[in-house]
Amino acid sequence: MSTQETYKTKVKELLSSGKVKMVIGYKAGTTADRRRPHFMRTPEEVDQLVLDSACITNLSGYLLSEGLLSDGKEIAVFLKPDGIRSINILAAEAQLQSNQVVVLGFDINGSEISALQGERASDFQALTSSSNEARLHKQQHPESARLEQMTPAERFAYWEDAFSRCIKCYACRQACPMCYCRRCIVDNNQPQWVNTSSHTLGNFEWNIVRAFHLAGRCVECGNCGRACPVNIPLGLLNMKMTDEVLQSFNHYPGVSETQEPVLASFKKNDSETFIL
Amino acid sequence: MTRILSSDKLDNCVARWRKAGNKVFGPVKKETTSSYAAVESAAEFDLGLILPDRSVKELFFPQTEPMMRYSIKKQAIDTEDFQPPIEKRIIFGVRPCDASGLAIDDPLFGWDYKDDFWFKRRNNSVIITIACTKSDDFCMCTSLKLAPDSTKGADVMLRPLQNGKGWQVEELTDRGREAVKEIADLLQDSAEPTAPNAMVPEKFNLDACVAWLRNPENFESSFWKEISMRCIGCGSCTFLCPTCHCFDFQDEGDTYNGIRRKNWDSCSFALFTMHTSGHNPRSTQSARWRQRIMHKFNYFPGKFNVNSCSGCGRCSRQCPVDMGITETLQAISTLQP
Amino acid sequence: MKIVASRNEAPGVKTLKLEFQDPADHELFKQNYRTGMFGLYGVYGEGESTFCVASPETRKEYIECTFRRSGRVTSALANSDIGDLITFRGPYGNRFPLEEFYGKNLVFISGGIALPPTRSVIWSCLDQREKFGKITIVYGARSVADLVYKHELEEWEKRDDVDLVLTVDPGGESPDWKHKVGFVPTILEEAAPSPGNCIAVLCGPPIMIKFTLISLKKLGFEEQNVYTTLENRMKCGVGKCGRCNVGSVYICKEGPVFTAAEVSKMPQADL
Repeated sequence: MSTQETYKTKVKELLSSGKVKMVIGYKAGTTADRRRPHFMRTPEEVDQLVLDSACITNLSGYLLSEGLLSDGKEIAVFLKPDGIRSINILAAEAQLQSNQVVVLGFDINGSEISALQGERASDFQALTSSSNEARLHKQQHPESARLEQMTPAERFAYWEDAFSRCIKCYACRQACPMCYCRRCIVDNNQPQWVNTSSHTLGNFEWNIVRAFHLAGRCVECGNCGRACPVNIPLGLLNMKMTDEVLQSFNHYPGVSETQEPVLASFKKNDSETFIL
Repeated sequence: MTRILSSDKLDNCVARWRKAGNKVFGPVKKETTSSYAAVESAAEFDLGLILPDRSVKELFFPQTEPMMRYSIKKQAIDTEDFQPPIEKRIIFGVRPCDASGLAIDDPLFGWDYKDDFWFKRRNNSVIITIACTKSDDFCMCTSLKLAPDSTKGADVMLRPLQNGKGWQVEELTDRGREAVKEIADLLQDSAEPTAPNAMVPEKFNLDACVAWLRNPENFESSFWKEISMRCIGCGSCTFLCPTCHCFDFQDEGDTYNGIRRKNWDSCSFALFTMHTSGHNPRSTQSARWRQRIMHKFNYFPGKFNVNSCSGCGRCSRQCPVDMGITETLQAISTLQP
Repeated sequence: MKIVASRNEAPGVKTLKLEFQDPADHELFKQNYRTGMFGLYGVYGEGESTFCVASPETRKEYIECTFRRSGRVTSALANSDIGDLITFRGPYGNRFPLEEFYGKNLVFISGGIALPPTRSVIWSCLDQREKFGKITIVYGARSVADLVYKHELEEWEKRDDVDLVLTVDPGGESPDWKHKVGFVPTILEEAAPSPGNCIAVLCGPPIMIKFTLISLKKLGFEEQNVYTTLENRMKCGVGKCGRCNVGSVYICKEGPVFTAAEVSKMPQADL
């Protein structure tokens, strides 16, 4: 049986047994290469479930939809390793309790998918804890490498051009599982920390503030870059922040839910090289 | 015999229009995204795009527009209004859906207070539309009773020739005739046939949808909750939409000097309608999505006798979660009114 | 406009009295302002905020506005001093059709910070008292401290051509409170104004409106004789910015004054 079919059976069981009140997965989208988030509450709705290599969106953010987890009931969600790490971070940041989340783990290798064994985010500890090491030795994204070669002035010009395209639709924020603030800093106006206007300066402020807020928290799922309707390479910015945090603190986010949020905790031996 | 503008003369046209004091715009692909942008030569155009990622709306209603400058003195406040631009513009290669979008918004910007920023730009711009011979899975102009060769909002209509080497020229307005006059000697007579219009299948029955939306009983239908469940509440559909026109005013500056700006805003955002007391008339994402659909296909036509949608499909094409007007109206057209 | 007087009404609530600086603007205001209309009051650098004109249409030499300090703009307004300049755009919107109230009894029902719009109508009527029948005012607030226009409440109480019923929510009374204790709808039902030849003007927070409408119905008021104001968030005031509509009704252009009959036709979920 294919992974998709195996999971269909499992999801039907989860729903019909009442173990979970909802399963969040994927279904077919408008075009052949698109997948839509799919919310299943009855076994009948499981027939539309699709699980294949096009299921790349990190769905963990939906768990924080207002009121969804407040009744204490469990929800199952299809997650790749990056999504499982999101659950660990959200749990570490007290946004959810991981025992309310049934992980339906899978991974994509090229055009193939494979199931990951486990039920709770903590069951994937072996996978998530090896991700730190893997990330350290991961080959740099070619575009990141190109940016690193630039002079600061060239790099500034690159981002100035990229951010001049931003329309401040906040799709990056809304698509990001880590951007769960009920009131984002840009929506606070006493004082107005960030210009809400979408001119190049305002766009710089917004995108840099968001990158800062994700430093040490981003799981590099790519939701933001894919959501951006004007295709700003937001992932590059977040990858750079991840590199910096990894090098300064040997911290890769989402390894476990007991992992301390790196920029919200202090250790005596923390590197201080970034303090001017 | 009809008059033809051949592709190889286009650069001459651009030069001629520029020389006559026009700023020339058209579809341009830059880096990873495309929009209607100012050009110096026709080589910068990308006329092969089905349509640019960003709509032509932003050339008339920019994402941020300075309205006035203020400076606070000891005994007085000096203010200075920014004047609407008066530059003459030729916007070449506008898609019929985008041009229609402008015409759809005219009555909105014209009722009550007449928005000078919009109308000065409208009056100083010549919209040269090119009929579509290509479409994609998201195009839906025909579902809105428009067509790949709608002339709505256009000053000049160009129909691509079958041989791909130019366009048949049809002036539609005085502004259009004026712009064509400037390049009259570059046109030639020809009997070359035009290429067939793009095939855009009808995706939903608009009349059935409108009937359903107008039935007050459906306002609190569970349909709204179901269809909008995956909406993440970003503003990409509204900002890319050629007809969405909601805005905000923001003052930017220090204590004494600054600029009041008009910025795009979106009915998708939770804070859009939030009262200062915390009460929010549209407190859920489903209420906000309902507002967007109702506004376009019920409230707006009730006021201005036209749907606030021209079928460009950008809302679905660029939606991070593959939602959009098409899916919603397709679903509605299957419901009982 | 210049702030010529200011008064603290209740904790966080302030009234500003404003005078026009430009005679032409003042002339336009005099021509156009009728009770019920609203304006956008602004402080450069902070923005604009929408609330009603709290002064009556019978007194157009100045504008009074009353607001609670709650956001960026209202904080800036509250921090302004006498002599400071602020901006005013308006008057916008429709009005209470006072001519239609001539010869009728009037019941004004208001809660908390919603007395300002009601007060504009009340004074517009009291300044031409002979044109109206019996006038009853039912006003409630969370606590004694939260009652606004305390001096005017005293004045109305002393007048023998006005019946004033004051109430505070249970627990909000002070030791020397001589008036009612209870929520506005209950107190209104106790006061039981007769619905015959009577117009009710109702302003309050959405939840109070909801329950008071039920009470008015119980008392026999017909929906077309109950007027209220809907004050949604607005930015432009001229039918464009997209915020204030309830269903197909643009509050800024077709409102803010509606009869209960009109309100009941709007989609209730978006109120």
